Amino acid sequence: MAAPLVLVILVAVTVRAVLYRSSLAAFISERVEVASPLNAWKRVVEGLALLDLGVSPYSGAIFHETPLIIYLFHFLIEYAELVFMITDVLTAIALYLAIQDFNKVVFKKQKLLIELDKYAPDVAELIRTPMEMHYIPLKVALFYLLNPYTVMSCVAKSTCTINNTVIAFFILATIKGSAFLSAVFLALATYQSLYPLTLFAPALLYLLQRQFIPVKLKSKSFWLYTMQYAALYLCSLVVIICLSFFLLNSWDFIPSVYGFILSVPDLTPNIGLFWYFFAEMFEHFSLFFVCVFQINVFFYTIPLAVKLKEHPVFFMFVQIAIISIFKSYPTVGDIALYMAFLPVWSHLYRFLRNIFILSCVLIVCSLLFPVLWHLWIYAGSANSNFYYAITLTFNIGQILLISDYFYAFLRREYYLTHGLYLTRQDGTEAMLVLK
Amino acid sequence: MNFKDQAEQFFKSGHTNNWAVLVCTSRFWFNYRHVANTLSVYRSVKRLGIPDSHIVLMLADDMACNPRNPKPATVFSHKNMELNVYGDDVEVDYRSYEVTVENFLRVLTGRIPPGTPRSKRLLSDDRSNILIYMTGHGGNGFLKFQDSEEITNVELADAFEQMWQKRRYNELLFIIDTCQGASMYERFYSPNIMALASSQVGEDSLSHQPDLGIGVHLMDRYTFYVLEFLEEIHPASQTNMNDLFQVCPKSLCVSTPGHRTDLFQRDPQNVLITDFFGSVRKVEITAETISLDPNLAAFESKPPKDELAAEPLKYAEQLPVAQIIHQKPKQKDWHPPGGFILGLWALIIMVFFKTYGIKHMKHIF
Repeated sequence: MAAPLVLVILVAVTVRAVLYRSSLAAFISERVEVASPLNAWKRVVEGLALLDLGVSPYSGAIFHETPLIIYLFHFLIEYAELVFMITDVLTAIALYLAIQDFNKVVFKKQKLLIELDKYAPDVAELIRTPMEMHYIPLKVALFYLLNPYTVMSCVAKSTCTINNTVIAFFILATIKGSAFLSAVFLALATYQSLYPLTLFAPALLYLLQRQFIPVKLKSKSFWLYTMQYAALYLCSLVVIICLSFFLLNSWDFIPSVYGFILSVPDLTPNIGLFWYFFAEMFEHFSLFFVCVFQINVFFYTIPLAVKLKEHPVFFMFVQIAIISIFKSYPTVGDIALYMAFLPVWSHLYRFLRNIFILSCVLIVCSLLFPVLWHLWIYAGSANSNFYYAITLTFNIGQILLISDYFYAFLRREYYLTHGLYLTRQDGTEAMLVLK
Repeated sequence: MNFKDQAEQFFKSGHTNNWAVLVCTSRFWFNYRHVANTLSVYRSVKRLGIPDSHIVLMLADDMACNPRNPKPATVFSHKNMELNVYGDDVEVDYRSYEVTVENFLRVLTGRIPPGTPRSKRLLSDDRSNILIYMTGHGGNGFLKFQDSEEITNVELADAFEQMWQKRRYNELLFIIDTCQGASMYERFYSPNIMALASSQVGEDSLSHQPDLGIGVHLMDRYTFYVLEFLEEIHPASQTNMNDLFQVCPKSLCVSTPGHRTDLFQRDPQNVLITDFFGSVRKVEITAETISLDPNLAAFESKPPKDELAAEPLKYAEQLPVAQIIHQKPKQKDWHPPGGFILGLWALIIMVFFKTYGIKHMKHIF
């Protein structure tokens, strides 16, 4: 499988290189959908220039990257394009390897459950075979690398790609079963943008599953392992934060990075939900609503953990999607990451109900973003409501997509254990609903 | 005293004509006091002898005929409307929107478009003593013109240097009545300039008294007390600059007036007020004839101008560019501290070995 992957990588790198050299590169870097105040390349360059002038880049509200990014780009700023292409390639390779391993795990588990007779007799068509799963890792890499969102993110040199790489490595480490590496990468991802904190739960669940520790609140080994993993994670996070202190000898980066992510002071329009609300809100209420919106991101972790504790990788997928929809400064790069996982759940296709409409919504909204932006900002004949409407529709499309996949997944699980042709008590065909 | 000594006296002061450039930079009704300031100085200067042809009066707004003026065609400088400084004979050269930084600098440097009338030109020469009075709103290093632009102290200093190099003045007295006025004369570097300001850097100049009938403050404190001081002066007064420096102490003015005399060649003690504020022609009537010998001691006692004429040759010293332009220290590139790099790579290596086992160590070392 290496050769097709290499081919895909070559094609992706060519596409990106071509775009870097074209005039589109400047246009794409300006787009608000691709570059947010958190991860725009312009701001990285500005921060490094400030540093060369002897001023801390965190003074003033322009630079919101972590000190490790400063360190990385201080030496690599001339090769920035190469760096971003390499990170994209690394993400794709990490996802490829991760999904390969995951497929093996899924297949093993399926075999186990079949032998234990856990499945109903008539679900033969739902059982997955290695044949159909053979090309999934390649498709994942393909989906990630050739997704227009990823390409745009890479061409705009948004540090979202770096974030995606760290998360991809985290997923790889988790699926390979190394708790230590997974904690380290999760700490790095959390350090860079706060939200991957919520990925702690699915990673923990997966590792527990791998160690065959059942998730029971009373079980001692469960708590022991949880504590170990949490300790690893927290220690690495603390170590990384303390190390960043030594870069500039100041704690300035904490309000600039985390304070900025949490308090959302910059209301530049983006594809998220925060800017419009807070542009109109009275000062009096803004703290309350900031808290509400931020809690919304973290809120789904526990209920999903309860529901999806047998399926941690799907949980991870849903969690990443929730992060990219509800985070304070989303960009299309975040979306690209969870969309890369869609081939893994391609067997759910027959259960997806709204996939046609949703894909139309997503494609149309993505096309309308620049149109309405132009109408609003340049032509002056629209206003922010138009752009926000498209943002809303786009996010609704994403949310429905995720909930559709969620429904399809759970439905398939139900069918597997209860049989494909469900009947109600009076013999008519039953329909499963998601309550 | 013999006539030769008297003739020597005649050439003592070194200037033969006087000019005044009086600028009010603020518009809008509530800046009435700035116009009143300028017009008060105009009145004193005219009373002491400088004719309109030698005064360039720049007023950024028309207060006398402003629709909000309850007493049209008047500009008062005293409470109870005692003194109307706007009479029938006020000749405003630059009015309203013509008062801009560009026009002001063109007036000073003489770089005026060809069609400009004489009344709008500063036709001074190297024997002219010029009084420049500016008032308005200012800050640390700048003076605001017309609510939309500013002149900085560096620009002003450069304009004066241009005047010096073009021999457009003999001596220059610069008075400024704005907030933080002392910052405006900090940058002067041309010789023969004496400067006075109404307040130091960091202080505000305050206005004097509101008039309840007119509804605005009529004057600023510093100019009010300067006007009172000037009302005592007549063309034959021997009052000198040191007395002007004492005008408006902190108890009366609240701000601390400042002055700068280091660029001035003569001792301020010997500089008469009328050298700048009036146009005093020394006339001595004598029945005797005196042959003015070029080797007259007065001439040979090196009038300050010649001595300083050597200075323009020393361009390198005359323009302290580094001081003026605030040269930045040489840019040192930032490098991440060594401890950080060490710590980071140590951590990375530790993680690597923890995951892949110590057994790889022997492959590396």
